[in-house]
Amino acid sequence: MWNLILKDIRLQKNALFTLLPALFIYLFSGLSVTWVGIVFCIVIIMDVFSKDEKSSSNILWNALPYTRKEIVSSKYIGALIFTTLILLTILAGNWIIHQEFIQWEQIILVTSVVIFFTSFAFPFAYVFKIQYIVNASLVLLVLYLFTVSTFIPDLNDRIRGFVQTIIGLDDIFLQLIVILSAAVLYFLSWLLSIWLYNRKVF
Amino acid sequence: MENVIELNKVTKAFEGFKLENLSMTVKKGFITGFIGGNGAGKSTTIKLIMNLLQPDRGDISLFGLDYKNHEKEIKQRIGFVFDNNIFYENSTLLEMKNMIKRAYVNWDDKVFNQYIEKFALPLKKKIKTFSKGMMMKASLAIALSHHAELIIMDEPTSGLDPTFRRELLDILHDLIQDGERTIFFSTHITTDLDRIADYITFIHQGQHIFSKEYYKIEEEYAIVKGELELLDRDTEREFIGIRKSDYGFEALTANKEHTAELFGDTAILEKPTLEDIMLYTKKEREAYVESYS
Amino acid sequence: MRIIISNHSKEPIYGQIYTQIKKQILTGELQAGQPLPSMRKLARELDVSVITTKRAYEELEKNGFIYSVVGKGSFISEQNNEMILERKRKVIEEQLSAAVQNSKEIGIELAELNELLSLLYKEDT
Repeated sequence: MWNLILKDIRLQKNALFTLLPALFIYLFSGLSVTWVGIVFCIVIIMDVFSKDEKSSSNILWNALPYTRKEIVSSKYIGALIFTTLILLTILAGNWIIHQEFIQWEQIILVTSVVIFFTSFAFPFAYVFKIQYIVNASLVLLVLYLFTVSTFIPDLNDRIRGFVQTIIGLDDIFLQLIVILSAAVLYFLSWLLSIWLYNRKVF
Repeated sequence: MENVIELNKVTKAFEGFKLENLSMTVKKGFITGFIGGNGAGKSTTIKLIMNLLQPDRGDISLFGLDYKNHEKEIKQRIGFVFDNNIFYENSTLLEMKNMIKRAYVNWDDKVFNQYIEKFALPLKKKIKTFSKGMMMKASLAIALSHHAELIIMDEPTSGLDPTFRRELLDILHDLIQDGERTIFFSTHITTDLDRIADYITFIHQGQHIFSKEYYKIEEEYAIVKGELELLDRDTEREFIGIRKSDYGFEALTANKEHTAELFGDTAILEKPTLEDIMLYTKKEREAYVESYS
Repeated sequence: MRIIISNHSKEPIYGQIYTQIKKQILTGELQAGQPLPSMRKLARELDVSVITTKRAYEELEKNGFIYSVVGKGSFISEQNNEMILERKRKVIEEQLSAAVQNSKEIGIELAELNELLSLLYKEDT
């Protein structure tokens, strides 16, 4: 199974080389580290996933001596590895550029959001095509913009406030709850994906 | 004799297609050709054998092992070739090989490089630039480089030029020299099988028609040609399928000796090709459907 | 050993292999104890399937022309020529008596039968 993760990293090599400089540029421009981190993690994780989406790739990896469980698990473990890699890069980049460490809370936030997102996206992607997820996201975005402009004009501020509150949470207990629920959700999603993938026909 | 592949009453239903109670075996050390028309269920059967699909009912075992408990062990011993490209189009053959070799305990770079040289394949060009023939050779090189005991191929000769088809048959001959390797491949170019196939397995519309030694087909089946007057209700029952024209009839019998006795010198008996057998079997089934609908 | 396969012959390929090896054994071209190529090697050389050569070897073995040693391959058997000739003679006798029987049934005279036989005999060579 480690071979499968290794192969995903290999395949992502070129993408990583182009994305990392972009990451530094964003950091330079002073955009929110949290925001940049989340976007980069999700883009890379979904890109890795989409490379194996074709039925021909499914046939290849399933015909090789791997089980379906391993193929699904490699994606879940891989997502964690990619997130770690990106966070480490951001950590290093921020230190080089701004001579400051990012907050511990920001890391937890990025990780939690990425894990929440992945937990929903993966099982979805095993049933539908990623294109559907992209379409769904676009619809959501439009809905969001529509809501902002018509009903809740200060939604952005509210979200920012909410994020600040989470980051500002001194309460170790609450942070622990966030981490724990993310972990549980990820694990359940993992099991669900194995179940779904076992029934997939390609 | 030992069976490498065993299917026992396997049923798999899709929308609009059903593989029903398929039982068949593939013998160790020989080449088995797998024939049937389009939509007969060849690819589905191969996917079932490779555990890419799971049967609704029935048992499948390879090397005497089942997939439930020995999936990885079984797959380690199989080399596979599919008729379409299953490699990443944007990767090179070298990159592809490096990704795949880790999956196999017995991967042998020396063997791989020999095939690359033999097939004159570029290692550093992207797969998407490959022609159909190159793609096939690349798949073959990868399938043959981990000392697999069973080589499964889905339509390996389609899209190949005649010279390489011939070369491929020579390679297959070489592969089975030690008697330890088994080759199972589907094809619709039945002339490929004439010189190489030891056994023929024929399926039609999801049903197993026969599996037998190639020479037995010649012994049992014959094309019969004669005048229409020879046909009546009794003699027609002799045939699998009949084609009548104004000038006479042509039919296929699966009981050559009996037919020869029945008609004596009045009809001509000829050696059938696999295509004849496929064609008349199809006719028979259609006639059957017609008469009961 | 020489074997020539015809794809257009009425005789099945294994039959062609069988007949040609048998002939070479009977004429002494292949000597007793001489090894035969393995059936897989022969199949490859002749470009035919393994089951074909296997069938030919099985027939040869069944009729006592060759024997096989597990793990070593197949060899030409010691031919008891006297016995083979005797057996052949017996077969000819049977066939001829059948011909005689048939002739008598439809009233063909001995002279006519003789004539027919010599005609056939010359024709075949």
